[in-house]
This record gives sequence, structure tokens and C-alpha cells, in this order.
Amino acid sequence: MEHIEVKRKKVDTPTVASLYFEWDARVLPGQFIMVWVPGLGEVPMSLSKTGKEKCITVKAYGESTGKLAKTEVGELITLRGPYGKPFKKSGGDILLIGGGSGMASLRPLINRRSTGIIASRTPEELLFSEEFNADKRIEVTEDGRKGIKGIVLDGMDMVNPEDFSMIYVCGPERMLKAVYDKIKDKNVNAQFSLERSMKCGIGLCDSCSVNGYQVCVDGPVFDMNQLRDMTEFGTSKLLASGKRVKI
Amino acid sequence: MISLTTNTGGLKLESPAILASGILDENGYTMKRILDEGAGAVVTKSIGTEERNGYFSPVVAPEGSYLINAMGLPNPGIDFFRDEINIALKSGKPIIGSIFASNTDDFLKLALKMQDYGVSAVELNLSCPHVQGFGSEVGSDPVLVKDIVKNLKGTLKIPVWSKLSPNVTSISEIARASSESDALVLINTVRAMAIDVESKRPVLTNVYGGLSGKAIKPVGLRCVYEARKECDIDIIGVGGIYNYRDALEYIMAGASAFQIGTALMEYGRKVFGDIAMDLESYLKKNNVANIKELVGVAVQ
Ligand SMILES: Cc1cc2nc3c(=O)[nH]c(=O)nc-3n(C[C@H](O)[C@H](O)[C@H](O)COP(=O)(O)O)c2cc1C
Ligand code: FES
Repeated sequence: MEHIEVKRKKVDTPTVASLYFEWDARVLPGQFIMVWVPGLGEVPMSLSKTGKEKCITVKAYGESTGKLAKTEVGELITLRGPYGKPFKKSGGDILLIGGGSGMASLRPLINRRSTGIIASRTPEELLFSEEFNADKRIEVTEDGRKGIKGIVLDGMDMVNPEDFSMIYVCGPERMLKAVYDKIKDKNVNAQFSLERSMKCGIGLCDSCSVNGYQVCVDGPVFDMNQLRDMTEFGTSKLLASGKRVKI
Repeated sequence: MISLTTNTGGLKLESPAILASGILDENGYTMKRILDEGAGAVVTKSIGTEERNGYFSPVVAPEGSYLINAMGLPNPGIDFFRDEINIALKSGKPIIGSIFASNTDDFLKLALKMQDYGVSAVELNLSCPHVQGFGSEVGSDPVLVKDIVKNLKGTLKIPVWSKLSPNVTSISEIARASSESDALVLINTVRAMAIDVESKRPVLTNVYGGLSGKAIKPVGLRCVYEARKECDIDIIGVGGIYNYRDALEYIMAGASAFQIGTALMEYGRKVFGDIAMDLESYLKKNNVANIKELVGVAVQ
């Protein structure tokens, strides 16, 4: 466990805050850490900045993420990691598709040649949209107050997926599955970062597994070929007790 | 022909390397994959009569050479576990159903369901060190242990394994009390804790947890050795096995098979295949035809 001081903080949206810190571990885009909020629990967090300065982007969902998002400059965060396999790099034009807070783990991949499909429920929740070039930014909101009205798939109709050397996708699993189904028969390369509930983060507890692969160790990033054989992907998962439920 | 084929605890195993209870064995697909990738058998997560979520995180405190866990026996309850076993059974290899309860009746109920689901044996968790009313609290009472084992042996058609705790004054006494079992499984985790100096509080939400990994191998070995001298039944060694030499130590102390848990944190699922391969090379190099010949050779 390491204790690291928050150096800078930015409130990105009404429910999302980014905490910046200096940590000398080598972390690659797509990897994650387990952050401990003493008394409230441990939360898996992908890194939204992976250079010398690191960053986690916290959406206040519940008690532990709520408390974490309130961490102020000068306070310590407690973490272990980094864990998981990173995104594979790709040159050329790339497409980043992020739903909700999913854009956080895609953020380190943003560059001059990246096009973003940024989707959320409301305009206020569009995350890191402004980091894309203005002409490479496709915003989608469910309430239609900004950009295209609809869901991620509606944003995808604005581009030809086959124009990109790689597509990176992160968001809730149902969204990932919908994107996967839309492009699975096309001539594209794509990597998906899965979000599953994680108790240990180190490949022991089985809470994050998809068809025998541990999202925390074998993932969180999986490519199209790996997902092809995963019958649990987008269909079922285990609750904290291990009880199987539909997604 | 070099052979790793092992008869232990009433089962015939292609490889003596078994997945330990509580590690990657809650989801049927994971168990199936671990068997397909080389484990000789898997023991399921310990299952009880009712659904339990387990403790709030942190539930693990990992360090370089050990791990402390307090998962809190999360499980979907025996009725919902049938589907997971069904998925795992497609591998065609043995599944051992681990169960926990606080009394003989519940152990019997759980064991009969496991038998009905098609497992090859049941393993009684008499040894979890961090949940009140279960595990080692049951397993440290020789009279109760004897009663549970006797009842299950009298009713079940499949073998009964007893998994014991090192957190007792005399392992020999508990080993004797459970000696009607088809095998003793030694050891479960060692009761332990960790404190975070910065926040000045215990790391695990449950405060107490169980120590596993490299650090407990000497304790596990000592328990196997003591039990071997005490009674003449099959022993399955577990605790800090990371490579074939660790496994050989347990075998030479008297274990006829072994289980692996925490090593997966370091080597991943391939550890079962790797250890089996290394054991084979060792046998070849030392002109031993079957691994059985090494069981207990170090016992004096
Ligand atoms: C995360 C974790 C969960 C465990 N859960 C169980 C369990 O449900 N039932 C049980 O009998 N043993 C359980 N154990 C104990 C292991 O089966 C094993 O006895 C112990 O970890 C020592 O072996 P190792 O050093 O190879 O991990 C658990 C161990 C760990 C690390
Ligand atoms: S979180 Fe425990 S195995 Fe992935």
C-alpha cells in the first residue's frame, strides 16, 4: 500500500473530480489501481493520466467514491497497483468511444489523430470532450441538450469505423456489447476495456471473471478475438455473493 | 512411463496439483478453464446454506511473499451453486465441493446437495479463521468434528475430506478426531492481521484475516508431517506451494496430493501445468516411476 499526496484537483463535471498526483510507478494507459478510502472500502480506478504526473478521475456514485471525490490538495490517497494489462498502442487515426466515466481510461490515448465519441446522459457529464480537436469531437447526450440526441451507437453513425487503424472502447458493459455487436462483422481492430466489480484486483477472488478470464489480470483490456468466445460478455455476471445474474 | 497419476482421498487424479478452495472457484466458467489448463481437480469456494456477500473491502492485504485475506465466506448459497457446478463439470475432471456450516445437520444437508450436483468428493471447511460461528470455531472442537465426519461418512456415497486449521494447540488431536475421513487437507490460513501506519487502522475491514502464501509453507509442512505420524490416512498438503520443490517437500512430508491458492497471484492459472511439468522432469531425472514412491519418504 502506498500513500501519495494529491498535488492538484479539478472538478470536471458536477459529479466528477480529477485528482492529480506524482507517483513514480510505471503505468500504461488502460491499467488501474485499487484506491482505499479508510472505513468505506476499496475502489478500482483506471488512471486518466499515465505520465510522470498521474491522475484518477472519480465519479461520486456511492459513499466511498463520494468521499474520494472530496479529497483535497495536500491530502493523501492510499493505493495499491498498478494492475492489469494496458491498451495496445496503435499509430494512425484512432477512434475513442467512451460512455459516462469510461472516457477517463481512454484519456491518455487522446492525441492529434484521435476522434472521440463522447456519450453521456446530460451535457454537464460529457467528460474530457474539450481535450479532442474541435473537428474530431462527436458529442452525444441522451437528453439531446448538446450534440447528437441519443446513445453511443447514434454517434457511431457519424463515422465509418473502417477508416480507423484502431478503435478503443470503454464504458458500461451493455454499451460495450452494443458497440461490439455493431462492428463485429466489419474489417476493424478494436480493444474494449471492461468494468466488472473487483474485490481483490490480483486474480484470486473470481468476482471479476468473464468465461474464466480475470478482468483484473488478463484484462481489463480485451480485443475482438478474445471477446468472440466470451459467452458471459454482456450477458451475465456474479453479484458480491457469487450469485449469477443477467446484465 | 513416468506418471503423476495419483490415488488420494478416494479419487483418482491425473495430476496431484489441485486448485485450493476460495481461489478462482466461484464462477463455473473459471473452474472449467483452470481444469482445462492443467489442474488435476478443483475445490470449489466454500458454500453454505444461505447467500452471503462476505465482508466489505478491503478483503485482501497483499505483500510480496504473502497475503492476508478476510473475504468473509461470500457464496450464493447451495441452491444457486448448482448451475456453476454444472458448467465446471463439462471439463470432465473431478470437482470437490467445499462446504461450511455450524452443525452436523447443515453439513449433511449441504453435502447431500453437492453429491446430487455431481461432485466427486466433499471437503469440509473446518478451518476458516475469520468468520464467527464457522470454520475453525467448529474445527477446533474434536467432539463436534468427530460427530460431523461420522454422520457424513455414514450417509454419503462420495468421499469426505476434512480441511483443518493450523490455529489449534494440537493438530494431532483434531487429525485423530477426523480420521474417519477419506483425506485430511492441511492447512487453511493462519489467523493474522495488518495495520496501516498512515491511517492508524487495521487494513482489513474485518480486522482479522488469514495468512497464506510463501510465508506459511513451513507451518503447513509441519502440520502435514505431524498428522502423517499420527494417523494412517491420505493427506493433501496446502499452504505456500509456488513451485515443484515446494510440492515435493509436502509429498516427502507425507502428502499424496497438494493444493495451490495464493501462488496464482504470482504465476496465474498456468502454475498447475508448470508444476506438473517440472515434477515430471524431476521424476525422470531421478529415475522415479511414480510420484507415489516419494510420499512420506522424509518422515522419521
Ligand atoms: C482469497 C482466499 C480465499 C479463501 N477462501 C477459502 C474458502 O472459502 N474455504 C477454504 O477452505 N479455504 C479458503 N482459503 C484458504 C486456501 O484454500 C488455502 O488453504 C490457503 O490459502 C493456503 O494455501 P496457499 O498458501 O496456497 O494459498 C482461502 C484463501 C485465500 C487466499
Ligand atoms: S478482482 Fe479478484 S479475481 Fe479479479
